[in-house]
Amino acid sequence: MNRMARETVSPRPRPASRAGLIGTPFEARLRALSTAEDWMDWAGCLSPRALGAVETEYFAIRNQSTLFDVSPMRKYRVTGPDAARVMDRLVTRDVSRLAPGRVAYVLWCDEDGMVIDDGTLFRLGADDFRLCCQERQLAWLNDIAWGFDATIADETDDVAALALQGPTSHAVLEAAGLGLPALRPFGMAEPEPGLTVSRTGFTGDLGYELWVRPEGALALWDRLWAAGVDLGLRAIGYAAVDIARIEAGFIAAGAEFQPIHRALRPSRGRTPFELGLGHLVDLAKPHFNGRRALVRHAKDGPRRSLVMLDIEGTKPAAGAMIYRRGRHEVGHATSAVWAPTAKRNIAFAEIEARAALSAGLRAEIYTLKEGRWERTMTRATVTDRGVFRPPRARATPPGRF
Amino acid sequence: MAFDSARNLSAVVIGAGLNGLTAAATLAGRGARVTVVEKGEGPGGLMTGAGTGELGQFVWNLHPDALSEFGVSPADLGLGPALPTVALSPDGRHVVIEGGAARFADGAAHPDAAAYRALRWRVARFAAVLAPLVRMAPPRLGVGLMNRAGLPELLGLARLGLDIRRLARDDRREFLRVILSNAADLVLDAMPDGPLAASLAFDAVLGSRTGPRAPGTVLTLIYRHLQGGERYRPEGGMAVLAGRLARAAEARGAAIRYGAEAAGLVVEGDRVRGLRLASGEVIGAGLVLSSLGALPTLRLAGATHFDAEACRRIRQVRAEGTAGRLDLCLSAMPRLEGLPATLHRARLLLAPSVAALEAAFDPVKYGAVPGAPAAEILIEPEGAGARLSAIVQHLPRAPDGGWTTEAREGVIGSVVAALAVHAPGLPDLVREARLTTPAEIEAATGAPGGHWHHAEFAADQLLTLRPVNGMARYATGLPGLWLCGAAAHPGGDVTGLPGRNAALAALGAGVRA
Amino acid sequence: MGRAAKFDAIVAGGGHNGLTAACYLARAGLRTLVVEKNDWLGGAAVSRELHEGWTYSNCSYVCSLLRPEVVRDLDLPRHGLQVIPYTGGTTFTRDGDYFAYHSDRHALEREIARLSPRDVEGYERFALAVMRQCRFIRPLLLRTPPDPVAPGPRDVAELVYLLRRFHDLGPRETGEAMRFWTASVGDYLDGFIEHPLIKAHLAGSGIIGTGLGVYSPGTAYVLLHHYMGEVDGAIGAWGFARGGMGAVSGALASAFRAAGGEIVTGAGVERILVENGRAVGVALDNGDEYRAPIVASGMDVKRTYLGHVEPQHLPTDFLAAVRRFKIRGSSGKINIALDAMPRFLAAPEGASFLSGDLHVSESLAELERAYDDWKAGRWSALPYLDMLIPSRIDPTMAPPGKHMMTLFVQYAPYDLARDGTRDPAHWDEAARRGFADAVFDRIEAVSPGFRDLILHAEVRTPVDLEREVGLTEGNIFQGELTFDQLLFNRPVPGYADYRSPVKGLYLVGSSAHPGGGVMAAPGANAAREILRDAGRRCRAERAFRAA
Repeated sequence: MNRMARETVSPRPRPASRAGLIGTPFEARLRALSTAEDWMDWAGCLSPRALGAVETEYFAIRNQSTLFDVSPMRKYRVTGPDAARVMDRLVTRDVSRLAPGRVAYVLWCDEDGMVIDDGTLFRLGADDFRLCCQERQLAWLNDIAWGFDATIADETDDVAALALQGPTSHAVLEAAGLGLPALRPFGMAEPEPGLTVSRTGFTGDLGYELWVRPEGALALWDRLWAAGVDLGLRAIGYAAVDIARIEAGFIAAGAEFQPIHRALRPSRGRTPFELGLGHLVDLAKPHFNGRRALVRHAKDGPRRSLVMLDIEGTKPAAGAMIYRRGRHEVGHATSAVWAPTAKRNIAFAEIEARAALSAGLRAEIYTLKEGRWERTMTRATVTDRGVFRPPRARATPPGRF
Repeated sequence: MAFDSARNLSAVVIGAGLNGLTAAATLAGRGARVTVVEKGEGPGGLMTGAGTGELGQFVWNLHPDALSEFGVSPADLGLGPALPTVALSPDGRHVVIEGGAARFADGAAHPDAAAYRALRWRVARFAAVLAPLVRMAPPRLGVGLMNRAGLPELLGLARLGLDIRRLARDDRREFLRVILSNAADLVLDAMPDGPLAASLAFDAVLGSRTGPRAPGTVLTLIYRHLQGGERYRPEGGMAVLAGRLARAAEARGAAIRYGAEAAGLVVEGDRVRGLRLASGEVIGAGLVLSSLGALPTLRLAGATHFDAEACRRIRQVRAEGTAGRLDLCLSAMPRLEGLPATLHRARLLLAPSVAALEAAFDPVKYGAVPGAPAAEILIEPEGAGARLSAIVQHLPRAPDGGWTTEAREGVIGSVVAALAVHAPGLPDLVREARLTTPAEIEAATGAPGGHWHHAEFAADQLLTLRPVNGMARYATGLPGLWLCGAAAHPGGDVTGLPGRNAALAALGAGVRA
Repeated sequence: MGRAAKFDAIVAGGGHNGLTAACYLARAGLRTLVVEKNDWLGGAAVSRELHEGWTYSNCSYVCSLLRPEVVRDLDLPRHGLQVIPYTGGTTFTRDGDYFAYHSDRHALEREIARLSPRDVEGYERFALAVMRQCRFIRPLLLRTPPDPVAPGPRDVAELVYLLRRFHDLGPRETGEAMRFWTASVGDYLDGFIEHPLIKAHLAGSGIIGTGLGVYSPGTAYVLLHHYMGEVDGAIGAWGFARGGMGAVSGALASAFRAAGGEIVTGAGVERILVENGRAVGVALDNGDEYRAPIVASGMDVKRTYLGHVEPQHLPTDFLAAVRRFKIRGSSGKINIALDAMPRFLAAPEGASFLSGDLHVSESLAELERAYDDWKAGRWSALPYLDMLIPSRIDPTMAPPGKHMMTLFVQYAPYDLARDGTRDPAHWDEAARRGFADAVFDRIEAVSPGFRDLILHAEVRTPVDLEREVGLTEGNIFQGELTFDQLLFNRPVPGYADYRSPVKGLYLVGSSAHPGGGVMAAPGANAAREILRDAGRRCRAERAFRAA
């Protein structure tokens, strides 16, 4: 009686989409090296929080060199005659000043000037870009590119990536036969077909990121690993990187700002100015997404400021509320750490814009001391971002260590 | 004074439809130098098919505020007396509606006449409440109502509140109940289904891609009755009316250029500096008012000047026209049974019931042609014979298989057959038949999707959401570019209000800038 | 003349809202009686053993909207209520594919990306937008709607509260809220998601129980009615009441008895007694008569005022408004005892998403056609199905190895068309079989052999739901959830505060704000108003202020 409904179906069941975390192309090596078995979820990928002891991994960043698997980063390829216009429409910086073969740290905003995400933009050619970031941006890039002649491809699963960071990182590259002595910071090169190396990173130290097809991932790892034996190369997890990036003054999505597309409360959005990244906003270039709102924000001034606080004592101020004159709540710490190399107790904090200029800030720190919580109101002062950024990070050619 | 500085303004208005002309007259009347560019060869836009042939056939809802911008009074327009409406009935007992009163064509009293009158009056009272709202930019909700800048907004809202308060308490309750309700329930709660009930439901869906059961259609019905709901047939047709208005705009100082197609905007320093024509000529202007739909305007300006969110919203505006036009050349005036000759030139409605109207819409949702389409018909003598024109409500924009000859003949055949029930001689009188589909309307006029209102007239695309959230107050975001067509608040029909409101908004901002 | 007794309050109808109101009244110290026409309690929240060994939640079938405030106030878990969350769900297509809604976030993202990579973000945007609306609207569920037309001081305070909430949203979000309230679920989804199957999966909740189609304006809001659910604090989560939906009523009844309440079953209210414009009690159809100065009706607004109050006690315009109230039967229900777990060809063995809600759909257009069938007085040729197999999670529902399926069917008309006339009497045995066949055909297409597993099936048309549960036209929400019947318009303008023109007579069922679903909010809100009139405070009052 119901012909349409009775049509038969294909007899082959389709397996369910996979749940949980999926390994990256480096999974085999990471699993073999992990003694901590401390894994985390990075964009649905199995990613080490630590492979061994976090302290050892951190000091390897600052003293030797480290390998960190950054394959879970989202990677998008934008190509076509309008690719440069599309990228200029997306990001707040002037892409026309980004030469092929160069990389830029960029942010992009929604129509209200609130930051959607930050990332690195690689200009692979005149009409060829790669954008690396934390959040999914496929639909957004398509929205941005509507009306333009450009093609957007999600390369996340097609490109494996390793961060090689630390003072001996160039020495490791050299030992592996991949030396790039002339490569300047934010430059990139293709020392071998199918392998891109960029002088970029998230640690504030000398470092490189290597981009390769997944098939070549393990071979690349093994090659670097062998080359690094005498140079103290260690594989590390995110916990060590997190310490280094706070020390270097780099913000992280989800900590220092809530990507606006993920904010349930629209008021959680932040402008680049509020994040202290106004220098990355080029209001003089033609219209880009959020420009008109940013012009207004630039005029009105920020509501809040993201600052780096130098806090007395040694107890990290994670989650601390910040007070002015001990009474008025003015904000909170977004990321906090005892900076092991700079030997300072620092924290990113989001505080009311007025308070950023005032003295007398206090961080309310709770510490668990052998079963008992103690609360201290600790003196905090606004300090320059990046308490540890050694000159070796920028030296070209890079030193051996 | 604010308006004096308009003297230094130069403005371009895109499109010489009613809204474009009204915008031009409004601007010119306040001293701005205005050029209207019109792609077609004559004025009138959708009213006249941009000079290619009449698409509209009646004037209703033309707003006095818009008219006063032309410096003309309704009397100057040759609109004549309000036309009676005849709701054709399958049983031959046609219903005549005149001045809010309904009776049978044979003169007998209609059993639902009192209910009909009460409902018409109620709708008219509700329309009076909404009247101030259509004369201004939609109120900005949720912002600064509590601070000084928001004061005018607050006052506007307070005024609306007061107007609602002016209604009797029962009316107020009813207003707040039905405002987002559907026309079918509203009408059928008052009277049984039939041609008389359908005449109101027809008003609620005319030109829209919707059936009378869709929530929100009451709002359309109220909107249609802002000026009393009476129809007028301009002497000589819509083209004559459009010509009169165009001349009035010119008399105010606006220059109208026909055959001039807008091809792009000149933008410098994030500000409109002029309009480029297809000929390559550039007309310098600090203000450009576009009476095109939202998407054509966006394409004209270039997506590059708009945030991606705005582009997405505009892309998602629903504008799929489902009203077409049928023209029949007849060798003689047809004779309609059961209808006195005096009423042959009335506005004839072919919609036997609310249910039939809903059923006529259903196939259109899936790209099919309804078997019994509803239509609004006008028969006028022409030469030795006559011309029958029908707005056929509910035709698919792109039927499965396309608008083939068969599909067209199907529509023509079903309308003629439905009329032949009342006018048995009609099929033999037809000398020539022409169907203008929504797609052809789009091609002729540029109306998105061939939609009468440039954007579906539904609650989620009205007021602060028309055409899209964030652009409801005529400003597009690109300084100097304004929307002044039916896609803007308050919407479609021959009102002239979007053009007038947009021009006033543009002048206000132009002065400040 | 039968028995007679005096109480402080009488609740007519032992459905979940009636029982909720009764609990609050009893706990506030009122001597309260609940009268129920059926031999069992629960109204549309029941568990019944109609086939030996199987428990059917034979009306409502999931527990998501039940207000946690009410559960906590009335201590329902102590009285046996246990809600087991389930997650996941699937929509099967005729061509042998399916879209699985996984509880695991990554699996869901991968599943969406499989069909349409861009829709992963589209779905995120959609979920975020709906959550924003939920955050805005949820607090309103346990508040009495203000009267904007003739506001008293409390109405003014409430209106200011509402305006303030809108104001806090900012202009864009206010616009988005307006769009959400006025858009159709189809158009709303079109704005976020590209793939037809994903849209079809998500749209179902916008039409369940309504006389509207996926492209009818206002259905996006209905979506909210289903998304607003929360189980154990997890917003949007759905659950089964362990032991079937009767467990909700059972816990309420137990809480009510514990508070000293009395219950009479098997005798329905014939007449609500009114003297001098005041409710004074009820006369039952068995001849018993109970008197109380407070009468609360859990029946729908039409049944209450048109069926059980003599018209001379009610103003004519009030009666007209009640008659105008739209209660449209649009759904059917089939409860099935299954010999084994059905096999869905497309799904892998043991797929976890089979424990969630299962559907067979293709596209929004197909759902819209199902609506067109209903408008014409036919059951949908290709209906929207909401199938659940609670026995996969709840072992109490069926014998080991066997299963119980609850099958909700949208659409089925109340007044079936036949030979050009519409009449509920057309629902004869043949029609019921035809209706069930349309449904089984649809399932059989994706689960061949399904029919052979059926040990017993209870087919419930709108007419059956009306006859047994007392819901007018079998409408599960006791009235359409359209704007003209929501908030201050529900049930009729001017009477959204649960009161009626008759002093002491209140409406406590889903016909009142905030509407249907096993939410218990109308009952709790009504109890608050009743106690306010009675000069007593109750815990709902506190919940109200905390909200």
